[in-house]
Amino acid sequence: MDYDLFLRYGPSLLRGFGMTILCWAAGTALGMLIGFLLALARRLPIPGLSWVLRAYIEVVRGTPFLVQLFLLYSGGPFIGIRLDATTAGIVGLGIYGSAYFAEIFRGGFAAVPKGYVEAAESLALPPGAILRRVVVPTMLISILPALVNMMIILTKETVVLSILTVPELMYEAQTMAAETFAAFETIFVMALFYWLLVEVVSRLGRRAERKLTSHLTQKAGAVS
Amino acid sequence: MNWDVVTRNLPYLLEGTVMTIAVSLAGILVGQVLGAFICVGRISGGRVGETLGAVYVSFFRGVPLLIQLLLIYYMLPLVGIDVPPLVAAVGALGLASSAYVSEIYRGSLLAIPHGHGEAALALGFSEGSIWRRILLPQAFRLSVPALVNELILLLKASSLISVVGVAELTRVSQSVASSTYRPLEAYMAAGAIYLIINGALALLGVLVERRLARS
Amino acid sequence: MPKMTYSLALGRRGALKSLALTGAALAVLLSMAPSAKADILADVKAAGVLKTGTEMQFPPFDMIEGGEYIGLNRDLIDEVGKEMGLKVEYQDLPWTSVLPGLEAGKFDLVIAPVTITKERMERYGFTVPIANATAAMMKKTGDDSIMKPEDIVGKTVGGGKGTSQLAQVKDYAATLGGEVSFNEYVDSNQSYADLAAGRVDVSVNSLPNLSYAASQRPETFTVVLPPFGKPTFFSWVTRKGEADDSLREAVSAALVAISADGRMAKIQEKWLGQAVDLPTEVPAPSF
Repeated sequence: MDYDLFLRYGPSLLRGFGMTILCWAAGTALGMLIGFLLALARRLPIPGLSWVLRAYIEVVRGTPFLVQLFLLYSGGPFIGIRLDATTAGIVGLGIYGSAYFAEIFRGGFAAVPKGYVEAAESLALPPGAILRRVVVPTMLISILPALVNMMIILTKETVVLSILTVPELMYEAQTMAAETFAAFETIFVMALFYWLLVEVVSRLGRRAERKLTSHLTQKAGAVS
Repeated sequence: MNWDVVTRNLPYLLEGTVMTIAVSLAGILVGQVLGAFICVGRISGGRVGETLGAVYVSFFRGVPLLIQLLLIYYMLPLVGIDVPPLVAAVGALGLASSAYVSEIYRGSLLAIPHGHGEAALALGFSEGSIWRRILLPQAFRLSVPALVNELILLLKASSLISVVGVAELTRVSQSVASSTYRPLEAYMAAGAIYLIINGALALLGVLVERRLARS
Repeated sequence: MPKMTYSLALGRRGALKSLALTGAALAVLLSMAPSAKADILADVKAAGVLKTGTEMQFPPFDMIEGGEYIGLNRDLIDEVGKEMGLKVEYQDLPWTSVLPGLEAGKFDLVIAPVTITKERMERYGFTVPIANATAAMMKKTGDDSIMKPEDIVGKTVGGGKGTSQLAQVKDYAATLGGEVSFNEYVDSNQSYADLAAGRVDVSVNSLPNLSYAASQRPETFTVVLPPFGKPTFFSWVTRKGEADDSLREAVSAALVAISADGRMAKIQEKWLGQAVDLPTEVPAPSF
């Protein structure tokens, strides 16, 4: 293995890693926001709305990210949507994640006992406060592992952004590979960086899990 | 738009589709079985089982599938183990999937009231039959929605196996895109095929969920 | 079962240790050199099969049509196989895994067209040239603002990252004395898609690649003539090292023989529209 390469390409790889984290964080946040709104909207009693949203979710979930991203970025200009590479990458990641997040949140809403909401209503809490202070904290406990799983999956989908020239880790690593033909070193670098990111995300997830469930595990151990 | 390139290449696209389905099914099977074992091992295997399980899940969930495939197919030969492409593809999909699946089962086991296991223990069930007859069936039922999610993700992740030389649907559509210079048409065709397969998977999930809810 | 609650709270030290351990294991695995073989050519001859790898998404050199591998490289390697008395096997791989496949010994010759550079020569061996790789430009059909290569001043140029053609267009743009911006792609097909979508004004690649693209979609793509680059050439690639020298020399000798008796010219006319004389020695890299 040629260790000099890591010195020469270190700065650009680190910059790429920073870009990966940025795109991932922005895309995940956007995806969670859209997903949460979708899950909320599906509970509204508007005829046909639930069906339309369901179709959106199935189409986005059912097609590969690569295909979606390509259609958004290279097909978009033909129907008047012109995004630069990084914006397209973040928006694409957000759309892709939103379908999965919507399903996770839907499961979370269903897991909140009706009695909690009724109790809050009888205390005359406004609907916004019920959502914020009762429903969301309760559902977070049961959906946290699934949320973390999805966030981890999205870290790895970011590699697809490289084809749009977003200068993230995969793009910089491919550059190193193209210029030096150092194939194995490239694989090694990517394995370490992505693993590091996933390890950090899942540790933060576990910490959040412990914090949210600390009052439960001491007594019963059963969470949901 | 020029749909001629799609109709002309349809048999080739369908070949890729068959490969995608076959490899994904095999990967799913490996992932389900391994995942169940890992989950049981982590929970009932004491400290050693727990540590080994944690390392396993951390590695196979943490390293991108692309890298795992490259490691299995290109690094193992360097230490004298030569793996055929299809074995590498199914193996990598199965190993990665098992890490996610074991976490899904773990989450579901958390949700089974402790009383169930304790009651069975009090009734004199052996540990093996508690797992087989009480905990795992319940965990499976609770896991169905998450498992369907995972199956759909695995089917799409199978697009990466082209790096070991297996021509699956995504690879085939890229080949069509590059030889015809019509990427939009080729990718839309691939997207439609994925959508049909995943639609069928999602439907299957709904049916299984209903069936289990009835019993 | 009290054990359950305990083990479900995952050990943090376990995860850290696993990270360090696997990192170390990876490094060790990667440091191992492929086991040294005596002579690859002798092995290939004994087996009667020449195993090759390429990415079959590089028309007109390598492409798949209706499930069949075709292109200039296919015709050429088949002739090389005949010349050497060997059966040829081809494997299609994404570019990411072509060179790892070569190093892992999955095949012994990469028949993807590769431009020789100094840096690449340090890691791999190159055969005599198989085609002309001189850099040229392609624009959108009907774009009258670009009629000759100098017209790229003030425009955006797309090209493959790390390719010799991109490096050449950058050198060339610097001589024009005006602002030129660049979009660098890891996949040249995406550069064409962005040309069609209007994100770049010209795509740079080797003349043979561009001529073929323009002939397939004349309503969208037009080649800007003349080519602006210095004469450069594509070669095939083998591993470096003594064991592989004999194979590389034998393939080069076969290529020279094919050039000498006119078969090369026929293949070039079929795929590139015209025949070009190729050097019979491995040329020194120009950058």
